[in-house]
Amino acid sequence: MSGKQYLKNIIPAIFIHLLGLSALALFLLAGGNTVPAILFISAVWLLVLAFYFTAAYCLRKRYMNKLLHMAEQLEERYLIPEIMLLPDQADDRIFYQLLKMAEKSMLEKIRQIQEERKEYREYIEQWIHEVKTPITAMKLLCENNRFPFTRDILTELENINQYTEQALYYARSEHTEKDYSVREIKLSDIVHTAIADNKYLLRQSNMAIAIDDTDAYVYTDDKWVRFILNQIIRNAVNYRAEQPTLHISVTKTNSQVILSVRDNGIGIPSVDLSRIFEKGFTGQNGRIGKNSTGIGLYLCKRLCDKLGIELTAYSEKKGTTFSLSFQTNDFITGVQG
Amino acid sequence: MKEKILIAEDDFTIQTQLKTLLTGNGYDVCAVTDFSKTLQQIKEFSPHLVLLDIRLPGDSGFELCSQIRAFSDMPIIFVTSSNTDMDELNSIMLGGDAFITKPYNTAILLAKIAALLKRAYASGQAEILIWNGAALHLESSFIEYNGEKAELTKNELKILYYLFKNAGKICPRNDIVDFLWDNRLYVDDNALSVNITRIRDKLTAIGLRDFIKTKHRQGYIL
Repeated sequence: MSGKQYLKNIIPAIFIHLLGLSALALFLLAGGNTVPAILFISAVWLLVLAFYFTAAYCLRKRYMNKLLHMAEQLEERYLIPEIMLLPDQADDRIFYQLLKMAEKSMLEKIRQIQEERKEYREYIEQWIHEVKTPITAMKLLCENNRFPFTRDILTELENINQYTEQALYYARSEHTEKDYSVREIKLSDIVHTAIADNKYLLRQSNMAIAIDDTDAYVYTDDKWVRFILNQIIRNAVNYRAEQPTLHISVTKTNSQVILSVRDNGIGIPSVDLSRIFEKGFTGQNGRIGKNSTGIGLYLCKRLCDKLGIELTAYSEKKGTTFSLSFQTNDFITGVQG
Repeated sequence: MKEKILIAEDDFTIQTQLKTLLTGNGYDVCAVTDFSKTLQQIKEFSPHLVLLDIRLPGDSGFELCSQIRAFSDMPIIFVTSSNTDMDELNSIMLGGDAFITKPYNTAILLAKIAALLKRAYASGQAEILIWNGAALHLESSFIEYNGEKAELTKNELKILYYLFKNAGKICPRNDIVDFLWDNRLYVDDNALSVNITRIRDKLTAIGLRDFIKTKHRQGYIL
């Protein structure tokens, strides 16, 4: 509450007081009082008045500051009517009532939007589960009836599958609830599954694969990490160079298990490197027509953040290395000794 | 004796294709057709293993699983398109042996089935494949002919295994590489040639000349 604004608000009151004071002065003068007596009375009047306005201002300011402070402390600011006390002043009560009304309609709106989002998310999840049935059927049909072109269809099916997974995990990553379960997982199992998920794509692109000792166990959610690895592997295929290779390895330190996926592809320009995990960022590689959407790596980063995995990218002119660092010195291993 | 597998899957295409796949891999397969009497069909067929979808008309896969568990310990594999934590947890709690999500890799599915059958019924016998007098010992990884033995590497064993399993048929190079990839051996076409050459050298050394024949532009045949 600024003093200037307060002063403006009380101008009419001051004006009326001055008017009253002038009238009193004239009346007293007509009644034969001395000028010093009148001046004294006026001074007392003005002093009392100034004292009253200052005190009122201070009290009001303190009250308002308290309210502001309370609102600032709230995470959901629109809930301020819930914690503020019923004001004493008549017009404050009206404002209080207005706030209550605004809050109520706001909460209704939020609830409605939340409900809509939940329904949409459920629909998306259901749709994805439904679309997996025809994908499975087509995959089986292709694998049971081999023709030269079935390999190409199988590659496309892998693409479709990863796109649907992307939609699923996008829906899941938006959700604030915990949607994963952490278990002890053998890293090599996830690595081999991710390669199997992209078998035809990798074979079609003649990717040479080398896997170093991945015989490590980590605590994580295998489905999420599988999705993240799929995305990284597919990026390696999309941005490959001549004689593509994919090198997957594991390094263990005292507190971390680091899974590295290194390719010898076209790499990521250093100006883009810091931004590749941003939503919608496609960079220079995206502009050379590789169907980049800027969603894949953004999702990977989000999922990693939720799982507590550190995801980093390293690229120097040629080739890119993605590293997933799993923490091992957390309480789980501590409890298990 | 063929091992019997029952498929409870309501999608017709998947059902028939799974049947084809499993029959082709030497299993006796029965698919549930009337989902109002699933349990009855399971009891009548008395399979060694059940492939169970979770979302089924009539009783759900979960319900069926607990019903089966009331009278049998047969391996149950849940095959489903919903990969939520709840479903996976439920399937384990109710006594399912494996949980596979669609779309599945057929090689992984077959491997799971074989492993579960082996564990549940401990067929015991050491696996030996025989073709034209040559015996391929899978457990100890060597090939034997007229009393002479040749040790095999992992890659060589898997290649020979595939050729033995498809003996008499032409095996396209691509299919052999696919099979190796399914077994976590990521070799390319060149490496396959190298391996075949090495196998041939080993076979010649134990007296098996021209055991693996090359069909030009098509592949290999035993």
